[in-house]
Amino acid sequence: MAIRVQPKLIDELVLYGAEDVQNCYHCGNCSAVCPHTDAVFNFPRKPMRHLQMGLEERLQSSLEPWLCYYCGQCSTQCPRGAEPGETMMSLRRWLTARYDFTGIASLFYRSWKAEVLAIGIVALLTAIGFFTFGFLQGDIHTYDGPDAFLPSSSVHIFDWAMAWVLFALLMMNVIRMWWFTTASRENLRVPVWSYLKHLYLLPLHFFTQKRYGLCEHKGPWRLHLVLVLSYVTMLVLIMFFLHQMQSGPSIVWPAHGFGYLASIGLLITVIYALRGRFKKTQVHMKHSHESDWIFIVMLLLVTVTGIVQHVLHRTGADLPANVAYVAHMMFVVPMLVLEVPFSKWSHLAYRPMAMYLGEVHRDALRHAETVSKEKTMQPVS
Amino acid sequence: MNVGVFIGQVLSRDTFNSKALADYAANLPSVALVRQIGYRPRLDPALLAQELRSHALDRIVLAGDSPGFFKPAFTRALALAGKDPEEVRLASLREHGVESVDEGLRAKAIVACAVKGVPFPLVAASKSSLVNPATLVIGGGVAGIQASLEIADAGKKVYLVERSATIGGHMAMFDKTFPTLDCAACILTPKMVSVGSHEMIELWTYSEVKEVRGTPGAYRVKVLRRARSVDVDACVACNNCSAVCPVSVWSEFDSALSYRKAMYIPFPQAVPNAYVVDRENCIYVQSEGKRCGACLKKCPKDCIDFNQQDTVEEIEVGNIILATGYELFDARRVERYGYGKLPNVLTSLEFERMTNASGPTGGKIVLKTKKLNKRTKVEEWVADPQGPAPKSVAIIHCVGSRDSNYNPYCSRVCCMYSLKFAHLVREKLPEAMCYEFYIDMRAFGKGYEEFMERIKAEGTNVVRGRTAQVSESNGQMLIKGEDILRDRIIEIPVDLVILAVGVIPSRGMADLAKMLQLPRDSDGWFSELNYNGEPTHTERGSIFVAGMCQGPKDIPDTVAQASAVAAGVLRSISSGHGMEDLSKLPLSEIEARAADWEAGLPELMRYADGNSSSTQAD
Ligand SMILES: Cc1cc2nc3c(=O)[nH]c(=O)nc-3n(C[C@H](O)[C@H](O)[C@H](O)COP(=O)(O)OP(=O)(O)OC[C@H]3O[C@@H](n4cnc5c(N)ncnc54)[C@H](O)[C@@H]3O)c2cc1C
Ligand code: SF4
Ligand code: SF4
Repeated sequence: MAIRVQPKLIDELVLYGAEDVQNCYHCGNCSAVCPHTDAVFNFPRKPMRHLQMGLEERLQSSLEPWLCYYCGQCSTQCPRGAEPGETMMSLRRWLTARYDFTGIASLFYRSWKAEVLAIGIVALLTAIGFFTFGFLQGDIHTYDGPDAFLPSSSVHIFDWAMAWVLFALLMMNVIRMWWFTTASRENLRVPVWSYLKHLYLLPLHFFTQKRYGLCEHKGPWRLHLVLVLSYVTMLVLIMFFLHQMQSGPSIVWPAHGFGYLASIGLLITVIYALRGRFKKTQVHMKHSHESDWIFIVMLLLVTVTGIVQHVLHRTGADLPANVAYVAHMMFVVPMLVLEVPFSKWSHLAYRPMAMYLGEVHRDALRHAETVSKEKTMQPVS
Repeated sequence: MNVGVFIGQVLSRDTFNSKALADYAANLPSVALVRQIGYRPRLDPALLAQELRSHALDRIVLAGDSPGFFKPAFTRALALAGKDPEEVRLASLREHGVESVDEGLRAKAIVACAVKGVPFPLVAASKSSLVNPATLVIGGGVAGIQASLEIADAGKKVYLVERSATIGGHMAMFDKTFPTLDCAACILTPKMVSVGSHEMIELWTYSEVKEVRGTPGAYRVKVLRRARSVDVDACVACNNCSAVCPVSVWSEFDSALSYRKAMYIPFPQAVPNAYVVDRENCIYVQSEGKRCGACLKKCPKDCIDFNQQDTVEEIEVGNIILATGYELFDARRVERYGYGKLPNVLTSLEFERMTNASGPTGGKIVLKTKKLNKRTKVEEWVADPQGPAPKSVAIIHCVGSRDSNYNPYCSRVCCMYSLKFAHLVREKLPEAMCYEFYIDMRAFGKGYEEFMERIKAEGTNVVRGRTAQVSESNGQMLIKGEDILRDRIIEIPVDLVILAVGVIPSRGMADLAKMLQLPRDSDGWFSELNYNGEPTHTERGSIFVAGMCQGPKDIPDTVAQASAVAAGVLRSISSGHGMEDLSKLPLSEIEARAADWEAGLPELMRYADGNSSSTQAD
């Protein structure tokens, strides 16, 4: 099969944050120090090479970028300052754009202005929607009870509707990921049992990011775990216990207790990330793409407005609490609607998926090997 | 002619004022456009061509550090704009010393010449001063030896000042030289001996240059002659003194693989062939004559004199040749390779001594073993000739070289000496596995490629991929890296690791440069006047460079450059004048000379075309 070369690929990747790929002279130091590299998935040197040569399809079908957790060992030791770690990061951004069938992700990554504009528009629409809905059916001076401005039962319906839409969008991208990396590859024949056998990897890696723990320094992994668990806690609370969350003003400890823990978790991680990126404390925080900043700032705003509206409600200031609620939604909705399917947050699906498909690939390769062995052995017998 | 000046970023000097340079360039008569293009510009020839057309430019001047990098885009743009694509002139700022001399004036002078299309080094150089026929050579490695002999054989006086107790430099430490596998001593020793006995050469070992004053052609130099405590002329190197010396310290010449005494001779063929006292370790000197003094009684010639004092001699010379060579990069800095912690990780010079038939192990390749030092009562790792032979050896290239974390440059000799090592391992230990880990194989010289092929054919495993780590495991060392051509990550256990450590300017070169007001390049080597045209001259009139101190090079190149330097010096002596300092010329003088050059150019160009006859036929 002919290999198509896209000489401008490397320029394209610059928009996604790759900087010094051309510096690489292929000494292999990076791959050798990477704790995630193995015989089947050998990186980051090889993707660097593919990028230099413009092997677009090859990169689009590769899982390697998702296997990198950016501990930065490769970049620290690189003798050429080629920043292999950052290249892998930018490849993840580029792949996110590739998986996304709408083209929105690609637009956002290439232009932060477009992303900010989109966030603004969604936030505005959210505000208009919530205010109109609230004034039509309730009283802005009441936070909960029958006359509530934003009754939890209605918000609940909105939540679930949004969740389904996001899930559907993300699934479409995940399917495209599967298609690019696995199904469309002629040389990769995956036995069906293998797909079933490894299914458990999806929840496992989603909840634990186990492979992140292979990196030499465990700190970033632990922090990321705190972040994920906080998210998941919040998600469960909102999707299933919104009523308890919104009742008050007395505190419902079984629900709110978890909420507090999760808020603290979010606050700590977000402050740590902000500080790290400002001060460039670690290798993986040295280079920040615009999309990284947008993500962290949004996360900070979501957390802070969430806390503010909660405090206001508990102290009986219902009117400001309702306004703060809408403000909170103005950040939550764009954050979810735009970041989950089209930007950084989508990795919540792609990473576990890559771990899963990675094992599937291994099976396929092993299978192919045994088949070819049997074939070569036949004439002898 | 309309000229466009494009100024790139000058990285070699953070304080560089490119705005001032731009203003100066804009005021030059023929300049129609000045533009700063910054660091790493993205240049589109089509857009540039438009720019050239709209300003009607016929010539482009690219100013900056290594501006040739951007030349192709401009050549193409000129062609696209229908102009002469040859009219791209480089104003190479770093290459012409902006880094170390008054950057503002020098940069302007370089740009002024480029705008006129005349070569800066030629315009700025050459004006004569009277010359003293004596020559000072600093450094007695193969470069200094070769240059001294050439000049002295032509009947001119040479002072050769060498810091250590013997001449010979690094080459004296080697057994074989690549690519011919000639015996190093067989080539070097006769030359060393003739230096020692040459009537026109005043050899001052154990000495250092402390002060240089005066002007080109008439330098007054102060040389510190350190007390050797042994009369060089009387000593017959009988070894009686050393035999009784109770002190034992690591031998520098043997790269600390063996011990020497406080009264010692670096190696048996040293020139001058005389002993020397290491006063810092001598018991007699340190106790101010109260203890020891064993050697004094043994010397049959009475040539030991502990009361000798350092002296300073003043000489006058016309030309100075710098040949101060190099030293090894400190391999400890690359912690991942474990040098200094793992006993059987050796540097290249240590291995050179180990394989040398006259070295500490008599040429046997052995693993270091632990031995109790009877006097100090501590266990030490020593290279014992009876020690076990390694069953597998790894050679790691580019240690400290080609690495932006250490030295960005290629050390140029290590690929080839590594191949030489591989050959020696295969020859002496045919049973042992030998691996060579390289990034790119630099086999650039005559016979080098063939040498490499030969080594490969001898059965060395040559692996493309830099070693990421050397770690200890079960008493062996584990090499981890990527085998790029076979597409796999490898972990290979070996007994002995040799680091092909890169080279750096020798200690004291910075002081010397300061003393002589001589620019050094960004890597610390002495800057030559022009890399292509004047590779042996420097900014300073009548001061020359030869050998490694001008940049990494092997012995053939070193010797060639040393001979070339001698030719320059002899030319200067026989013509009766030396060369002026470049940095002393005022800008206005360079501008005036550039104008003269430009006026003379058309004729030269016609000559260069080879088309003069057809022009005449018209
Ligand atoms: C491990 C190794 C193996 C090599 N093998 C080969 C080979 O097989 N073939 C080959 O072609 N090349 C080889 N080379 C390269 C070779 O060593 C150099 O090309 C050559 O030695 C350069 O000679 P030089 O005179 O310029 O420098 P040096 O040999 O370094 O001599 C410099 C001299 O100057 C003296 N000096 C320094 N500073 C001062 C000062 N301030 N005042 C007075 N004196 C001073 C020093 O003491 C020294 O004697 C090898 C290099 C290494 C590191
Ligand atoms: S360490 Fe740097 S130069 Fe070496 S292969 Fe990796 S990216 Fe390229
Ligand atoms: S000569 Fe070879 S080993 Fe030495 S720095 Fe250059 S490439 Fe590396």
